[in-house]
Amino acid sequence: MAQTNLAKKNRTRELLVALLPVAALLVLFGALCLTVNLKGYRLDMYLKIVFNEGVVLAVVATGAIFIYSLGSFDISLGASTLFSAAIGVMVYNSTQSLPLMICTIFGVAIGCSLLSSVLASVFHIPVFVTTVAMMSVLSAVAAQIITANGGALGGIGIPATVVAPLDNVPFKLIALLVFTLICVFVFDFTKIGRRLKFLGSNPVCAKLSGIKVNVYAIVAFVMAGLGVGLGAFLTLVYTPSVTPTTAGSIGMNILVAIVFGGMPISGGSRSRIYAALVGGFSYILLNNILKIVIDSGAGYGISQIVSAVFFLAVVYVTSMNYRTKLLPR
Amino acid sequence: MTKKMNPAARLAGTLAIPAVFAAVLFGLCAANGKSLFATPISVNYFVLYAAIVMITTMALSINLNSGHFDFSLGAMAVLSSVLGAKLSYALLGGGSGSAPLMLLFCVVIGGVLGLLSGLLYVSLRIPPIITSLGVTLIYEGITFTVTAGKYVNTEVRNASMSAFSGTWVWSALVIVAVLALVWFLFDRTKFGYDYKALQNGQKVSVNTGIREVPNALVCYLICGALMGIVGFLSTVRSSTINGGSLNFGSIGIMFTAFLPMFIGGYIGRFSNDKLGYLIAALCMSLLNTTFAAFSNEISASMQSIINALLLVLFLIYLSNEGLLQGLFHRKKSA
Repeated sequence: MAQTNLAKKNRTRELLVALLPVAALLVLFGALCLTVNLKGYRLDMYLKIVFNEGVVLAVVATGAIFIYSLGSFDISLGASTLFSAAIGVMVYNSTQSLPLMICTIFGVAIGCSLLSSVLASVFHIPVFVTTVAMMSVLSAVAAQIITANGGALGGIGIPATVVAPLDNVPFKLIALLVFTLICVFVFDFTKIGRRLKFLGSNPVCAKLSGIKVNVYAIVAFVMAGLGVGLGAFLTLVYTPSVTPTTAGSIGMNILVAIVFGGMPISGGSRSRIYAALVGGFSYILLNNILKIVIDSGAGYGISQIVSAVFFLAVVYVTSMNYRTKLLPR
Repeated sequence: MTKKMNPAARLAGTLAIPAVFAAVLFGLCAANGKSLFATPISVNYFVLYAAIVMITTMALSINLNSGHFDFSLGAMAVLSSVLGAKLSYALLGGGSGSAPLMLLFCVVIGGVLGLLSGLLYVSLRIPPIITSLGVTLIYEGITFTVTAGKYVNTEVRNASMSAFSGTWVWSALVIVAVLALVWFLFDRTKFGYDYKALQNGQKVSVNTGIREVPNALVCYLICGALMGIVGFLSTVRSSTINGGSLNFGSIGIMFTAFLPMFIGGYIGRFSNDKLGYLIAALCMSLLNTTFAAFSNEISASMQSIINALLLVLFLIYLSNEGLLQGLFHRKKSA
């Protein structure tokens, strides 16, 4: 009886902890509405900013969940987004064809991801180091293209009228939902997702069970590439020009967003697609709230400190169920 | 028991990579009519950059090898140099002795920042990579607040700092001192033996009575102090500090150390890993000097691409060494 009660208590505690990121998202949303109203700003404008920033981060992070579930992580996704967008702009400016631009963006994004996965799986290079090298190469090549064709400051771009019909909330929301549903289906309802989680939880056991690590690593990177492609396209829809700093912080923000959303960085069975969505929007909401509250140039630094403390606090609380006696590595 | 390598093989293994680097780079310069060390200034910057790379590599490898991945190394270097510069300027107004005082402040502040990062890690007990993400954001935020997001110039442009960059001797002394200290701490003390035991078997080591938390804290403290030195040397090299890095803008400092860390680790198999880091740093500095000699032909973007390709190629070799050796031996016996 006592044991049943304890198990029930533990389950309730786990459920509460699992719901905490969603609760944090709702609280942050409420806080943004309150702050904007108190300051007398236009709420619709701020909601649009949060949505436009959050949708790109959420899309790229959702694709990245597939890599993170393996216990690996990829910090080149921001550079990959920049590179795909830059090549897309170049293709549009040469052909004046929007469908060709979209296909190119997705092709380049998936190609970059495949290159990372091939280097990691075929040549047995640690994934993280591969992505560090990819990040350097992609951002350097993109910077070279942008500087040579439009200058580092102004960047390169497509006419705003080309993507203006797509720059609205319904289109972006549909894009986000469709991509998320595809990812949820692949991750939670197919053997691909189950095997990815198995590989992340216990790679040795998974290999001994006959799961081909290389194949699933490539699948994970392709899914991440799809997210990068969609993210790069949505970036261009929002701002039709690309500079060397475009999407610069996405690579690291994905890490923060995923952890913020309640997913462990070690991946495995506790990986959840919704973590990227919840974490991505929470992080963007928090940053915007702090920008409004601390309304000065030097305030950016203070906003970042508060944001980091909040991030650590959320991670600390959400990982309370998984404390070990040894220091975690 | 591992087979003992003969001294000639050890020497050859230790010097193979630097010899290839030197031959290729000097050959390239000679073929294009360029000189790597045309002026004494290029020698000074060669040694200074080698010191920066060697110390960053050591700091990165100390935590990385023991499973504590730390993104905050760059942020520590920048923050300690900003605070060190401000404090030394407040005390001496840029007068005589400013450089050594700033170095001292940087080491102490860097050590404190490292220790705080370690304390956060051992208190929260969340994976170090996540803690370091938070710490990076916090330290970058403090730097931005202190500098109002601007470059720090007045505090670091004085005769004392110029004297430091005006000769290679000071940088060489820093290299020798850091190398000796790190070698002593990690290869000759109980702390170092415990570190190695924890590195190779965390659970067994803790069960045998090794105190993991103090060991981790000392590691963080040492890494912080080393990054303080890097912050100081980087300031000497560029005569300014960028206080405007936010949103992980500082992590690039850490990425320069990946290739030398792997090269140093490889050389370490034949001698000592610390010596390996020094040799790798000298190779990287030689490459950097070559880039400077070819600055009209090789853009900054191209330099990043070359560095990344070298990293990938070296890792492909390292990860498939057994396979390549097998192929080589098969061909030989055929």
